[in-house]
Amino acid sequence: MNQPAFLCSLPVHTLYQRPTMLKLLLFLLFFLSGFHQTIKKPYLAKWVITKGCSLKVVGSTNVNQFSCVIADYYKPDTLTFYKDAVAEPTRITGTLKLEVQNFDCLNPVMTANLRNTLKAKENPYLIIKFINLSRYPANYTQNGGLKGVVSIQLAGVTKRYEVDYRFIPNGAKALTLVGTRQVNFSDFDIIPPRKIGGMIQTRNELDVQFSLKAKILY
Amino acid sequence: MKRIILSGFIAGIILFVLSYGSLFLAIRFFPELFTDYNNPLFNSNGSRDILFYLHAFIFSFALSWFWDRFKGLFHGAFIVRGLEFGLVYAMVALLPVMWITFSSLDITLFIVFSWFMYGLIQAVIAGLIFAKINA
Repeated sequence: MNQPAFLCSLPVHTLYQRPTMLKLLLFLLFFLSGFHQTIKKPYLAKWVITKGCSLKVVGSTNVNQFSCVIADYYKPDTLTFYKDAVAEPTRITGTLKLEVQNFDCLNPVMTANLRNTLKAKENPYLIIKFINLSRYPANYTQNGGLKGVVSIQLAGVTKRYEVDYRFIPNGAKALTLVGTRQVNFSDFDIIPPRKIGGMIQTRNELDVQFSLKAKILY
Repeated sequence: MKRIILSGFIAGIILFVLSYGSLFLAIRFFPELFTDYNNPLFNSNGSRDILFYLHAFIFSFALSWFWDRFKGLFHGAFIVRGLEFGLVYAMVALLPVMWITFSSLDITLFIVFSWFMYGLIQAVIAGLIFAKINA
């Protein structure tokens, strides 16, 4: 048996007969295993995503502008904020999973065109994964600006972006986090639609804005 | 045959410039009339652009043959012959095609009407060219 040297000196039956010794060993094992680190460094905060979240994309063609929204997104999820080091941004875990089919451009033709362009049938979800925030918005009662990194998965392609955030307090322990970012169709290997021989062209740039309503748990 | 190809080619060049030029200007100055083209019904990946721009020549060669075959039926000054030729084409070919297009595709009446007028004007111009160079 590969026992530590001090245990070898004890008869095996002595170990089983002494519960205090066993407890001490288990205690030591627990601390040496590294489990204690999670206790020492707990998460900073947890937010629960509540009803009323939305995602808006605004784009344009050479003949019109379009603004399409996935309104009232609600899928219970939690954003967990971790703080690893003082100098580093606050790490986040949490995801928004939106159905591309739910985009509504308030114009059936534009709606169908956007869904078709974003390949809604082949890739039905737009996934925003939160990665970090430049700092944790400790003061929930004041409006403020932040930056953070998210990854966006669209049409089967995932890209990382730095997003500008605004946070707006919504009463005690609740806030709205609004993230904005300009992305390109080409970032996701999507060719911007062009009609009638390219005479009508959709511009490559797309302004994305997501609004996240959250309740701060602790 | 040579006459058909030559007059078809000349008409093709003239129609190419006039049709796509007027379309370009219309989109530039009246963009709101073209918003309905943002429809998934229309090809959007550019793979058929060459076919789109060849339309003026396909149209001109087809009408050139038609003119050569039936020009004896159109009488009077070249303007009258050209006009009548364009109207005949619009009645015989365009109207039924536009009818079935509107009845089966999810497009607006305005789009179908604009296509009808576009085709009619193209056919009249082609008729005028044929009446002038292949009397």
